[in-house]
Amino acid sequence: MKKILAAALALAMVSSPLASIPAMAEEAQEPITLTVFRGDPGDQPADDNKIYKKIEEEFGVTFEFEFLAGDLDEKLGMMIAGEDYPDLFDGGNSADLLIQNGALINLLDYVSPEKTPRLWAHIEPQKARLIEKDEDGNDVLYIIPNYGLADGEQIVNQVNGPAFFIQKQVLEWGGYPEIHTLNEYFDLLDAFIEANPTDENGTPYVGFDILCEDWRHFCLINPVQHLMGRPNDGEVLVDVNSEDFHTETFIDKPYAKPYYKKLNEEFHKGLISKDTFVMNYDQYIAALSSGTVLGMFDQTWDFNNATFALQDAKMYKNTYVALGLVYDPEYVDGKEIEEHYVNGSLPNVRRGFGISVNCECPERIVAMWEEMMSDEWQLLFNWGVEGEDYYIEDGRLMMTKEQYENTQNNNWKLHNKALAFTESSPKKQGYIMEGDLAGNCWEVGNQPEIVFGQMNDYDKEFLEHYGYQKFADFVNPPIELAPYGEAWQIDYSPVDIDHQDFLDIQDKYLPELIMCDPEEFDALWDEFVEEITPSATVFGEFMWEAVQKEAAKVLENE
Amino acid sequence: MSRPAANTINAGAGHPKKGFFQTLCKQWQLVIMAVPMLLYVLLFNYGPMWGWITAFQDYTPKKGITGSKFVGWDNFKWLFGRRDFLESIRNTLAMSVINLVLGTVTSILLAILLNEVRKTMFKRTVQTVTYLPHFLSMVIVVGMAQNIFASNGPINQLLQGIGLIKQPIFFLGEEKLFWWLVGVINVWKEVGWNTIIYISAMTAIDPSLYEAAEIDGAGRFARIRYITLPGIRSTFVILLIMNIGHLMEAGFELQYLLQSSLTTDYAQTIDIFVLKYGISKQQYGVATAAGMFKSVVAIILLFAANTIAKKLDENTLI
Amino acid sequence: MNRGFVTPKENRIHHDRVFPVVNAIFLILLMFITLYPVLNTVAYSFNDGTDALRGNIGLWPRVFSLESYKSILSDKAVYTAAWISASKTVLITLLNLFWTSMLAYALSRKEFVLRKFITVIVVLTMYINAGLIPNYLLISKTLHLSNSYLVYIIPTMFSCFNMIVIRTYISGLPDALIESAKIDGAGDWRAFWQIIFPLCKPVLATVALFVAVGSWNSWFDTYLYNGGKKNLYSLQYLLKMKLATTQASANAAKATAEALSTSGMTTPITIRCAITVIATVPILVVYPFLQKYFVTGMALGSVKG
Repeated sequence: MKKILAAALALAMVSSPLASIPAMAEEAQEPITLTVFRGDPGDQPADDNKIYKKIEEEFGVTFEFEFLAGDLDEKLGMMIAGEDYPDLFDGGNSADLLIQNGALINLLDYVSPEKTPRLWAHIEPQKARLIEKDEDGNDVLYIIPNYGLADGEQIVNQVNGPAFFIQKQVLEWGGYPEIHTLNEYFDLLDAFIEANPTDENGTPYVGFDILCEDWRHFCLINPVQHLMGRPNDGEVLVDVNSEDFHTETFIDKPYAKPYYKKLNEEFHKGLISKDTFVMNYDQYIAALSSGTVLGMFDQTWDFNNATFALQDAKMYKNTYVALGLVYDPEYVDGKEIEEHYVNGSLPNVRRGFGISVNCECPERIVAMWEEMMSDEWQLLFNWGVEGEDYYIEDGRLMMTKEQYENTQNNNWKLHNKALAFTESSPKKQGYIMEGDLAGNCWEVGNQPEIVFGQMNDYDKEFLEHYGYQKFADFVNPPIELAPYGEAWQIDYSPVDIDHQDFLDIQDKYLPELIMCDPEEFDALWDEFVEEITPSATVFGEFMWEAVQKEAAKVLENE
Repeated sequence: MSRPAANTINAGAGHPKKGFFQTLCKQWQLVIMAVPMLLYVLLFNYGPMWGWITAFQDYTPKKGITGSKFVGWDNFKWLFGRRDFLESIRNTLAMSVINLVLGTVTSILLAILLNEVRKTMFKRTVQTVTYLPHFLSMVIVVGMAQNIFASNGPINQLLQGIGLIKQPIFFLGEEKLFWWLVGVINVWKEVGWNTIIYISAMTAIDPSLYEAAEIDGAGRFARIRYITLPGIRSTFVILLIMNIGHLMEAGFELQYLLQSSLTTDYAQTIDIFVLKYGISKQQYGVATAAGMFKSVVAIILLFAANTIAKKLDENTLI
Repeated sequence: MNRGFVTPKENRIHHDRVFPVVNAIFLILLMFITLYPVLNTVAYSFNDGTDALRGNIGLWPRVFSLESYKSILSDKAVYTAAWISASKTVLITLLNLFWTSMLAYALSRKEFVLRKFITVIVVLTMYINAGLIPNYLLISKTLHLSNSYLVYIIPTMFSCFNMIVIRTYISGLPDALIESAKIDGAGDWRAFWQIIFPLCKPVLATVALFVAVGSWNSWFDTYLYNGGKKNLYSLQYLLKMKLATTQASANAAKATAEALSTSGMTTPITIRCAITVIATVPILVVYPFLQKYFVTGMALGSVKG
């Protein structure tokens, strides 16, 4: 019914394409205010924001934003109960909840190759992943991803995700060795700390920190999959070479044991302190920022602030390099494991704006997005106003130091960027493909001139010793994305409780395993495996099915 | 002393029982003063109580109360079948008892000490300063506590310095110490704030009593014991009854922030449990069931405490 | 109760000399312990953001910076929000004192026939909670209070705890006061407003403090009902949002800042402290103002006078 209506409406609108354009433009003059909910925190833009002013002039649209302040699921639960939906809805990590409860409209009623050629071209390459079937078997698209639909080759300047990190000075001290395995990594740390127990100020070095606070416990529970040669799939290990995408939880498997046994050894050597298990995030950042932590497993974005603090204090040698470690053959029956820490790029499925069922003007919003996918608007959103916010030199997009620093200033952004809207909207990423600016990056942060132009001398020299161009060269180039995408994106809410148990048992046992008497390790490990097997089995089986389903969907559509 | 008076009034109120409405009409002024807020709480506090039905449902916000499936006692069965829920009841009770005892004793003590200070400026300064930590967010207080109690933190250094211990105490990682740590941090943050109510109660004490006592040759401790303490007795009893009703609430934020995987088994309170399984996992029925359980226990505790107080001839809440 | 005061005179003298000194020392120590976290917070708030990440700041900033304050106070929305917070705090406090004390008086009257019934109904509200969603639906859907200023006022006009506190205080006053008023022909209404209410100043000051602090510090009502109306944001909500944003943007930032100067950057740790100071200072003014009512014997002194 809805479809027929939409088709009729579309027919009426496009019956004469030429005639409809002025009609739409006329409609656009009528000012409207769109209510917008963002499922993450953010600041309200300033009233005199120059980009929103342009949007208002062009489309007659103003926004009323609401950002998340408390618990996302709690807030969404109330919105669903009261059916209090805004026009534009970014459900953050819980967009599934909105879809399950019928809060979002099917965008395919408005997005098509004919009606919205630019948007269509934007999603087309990944449509197998993005377009789903609803209960009645109809094609549906609720959300156009806000990130991950990039043009051109994948840009990897540095490892942004998980890795084993090590201070640059340790590698320097070791004579710039290549570190690829778990043993090589800890041997180097052991040797360094034996030779240098304290830093210049006499503060003792901490060899290896493990952050376990709350959801950041991935530093404790995730490494094994990477040691086994897979990029981040959350808490499961997928065998991409098997026909049925064999998926299992890894923490309860025999191949997980050597890692924690190694940590246990290092704990008793004093490389790991027991304080690491009660440390909160601020203390962790403080420790890293002080330059006394030599290594850890983490994700780059998780300790950005510490990196800034170290750079700010010109302690470049204490900043970190991301290493892609794998198990030594001795741990896995003599097998050589190939390292894959960086994954192929993947659209941010179910992240970004959807249009709610309460919205009275979905076609107007879609038409606006379509217009905004033009190069002019995208350049305005990403780089700003030419001459004011950036300049062009020999066909390259450039920024002065001051202009770049502006982009890092939150207050400036509230006046000069439309982030509250654009962060969740469909956007262009990767390389500019056409026109005079072809070959530049859409995003300021990826433009090589910006990234490498002002690298400090220590880092330049450091890379020279290895003969690398960029820090991402320490790891292998991205692996081809598996058909199922990345398993951590899969919605596991049907087995939520088992999953929680699964995590709780790990949180409880893994620190104990690391600290226990080496004699007792094996017995405690067996106890752990026995305790965790029930929940691990439920979760693992669910994930396997989900991975297969996801892969089948993509393979079928392709 | 107050007992006979109370009796006569009760008798007076009891007498015209035949004419309840007559008395009510006669007390129209009291009715006007009381009824607006009665209606108010009926609307705002009892109005939404239909929500308790969801304790017996597999409730989803979309289907609402009329569309959600009834599941009988399943939510309660699920709760009480979980070891960590039972643990969280234990932890909640333990920590709230510790908080209640430590909190009450320290705040009364501080109130008395302040009452003994003659210099007004000094007294006001102490009052103002001690209540300041109440305004710090828990995140800040816990962050500070974690630094203070760290293995190489000032407390361990002090204890090692005076030779009381050889190895640092692992305050933050010891399950057994967690409850006490929560108690100490609560006192640190709230003692000044909790004192206010006792200080205000002391204002009602007739100063002539102190003068008379001094003439009688009563010492300081006698004055405290026989004048100050009885003066705040009714406040103490009423607060105690109210807080006994609140024993099922041990707070949430402090434990949540202070816990680590080493102490979870002793740190998880009912409220943390509800957040973890109820709200974050959209198990609204379970969350309501836990809330209902808390309320029922609270009301039982409340009436028990009230009855005991009545038996002991104390002021009562109800 | 009326046992004699038997304390040896020598002992008494001894106590009277030593006690005030010991007491003063103890209280000074206590002040230090409670003041430390406060001063530490202030020190952090005036410290450079990136430097503060290293921790270990005591009572004085290590690298002085006003950046955290600048970044918060340069947003004009803070002043609108402060006005909203201040005005709602005053209104709620007045309304609370009015309704709460009136009910407290009525329920302190032992002869009041509805006393027990109403007391039970009201007291139980402290221990029952219908849950978030039913409350939300009542206020938002039934009463249509969301997206309005009234949602700050109407649902928080009354507090049972405070009512009990006032009732306890009134019960402690001599019954003779009211009876004599009634003999003079005054009804309960006049007896309360003319005699009891003025005598309750200390407890009303206490309750005013509780209500004002509670209202000033609340952010949840904005979050539930007015999150989309930036002109109705309360100060605490706005500040909480700013902190959350700083935290999120730290994670989102790419480390491409590399060699660029990161000094003057705000970080969650200093923002959190600056927010605490900004949000706390205005409400601190209330206490010394109310303190003058906390003088021992004031209540009865005024009866005699």
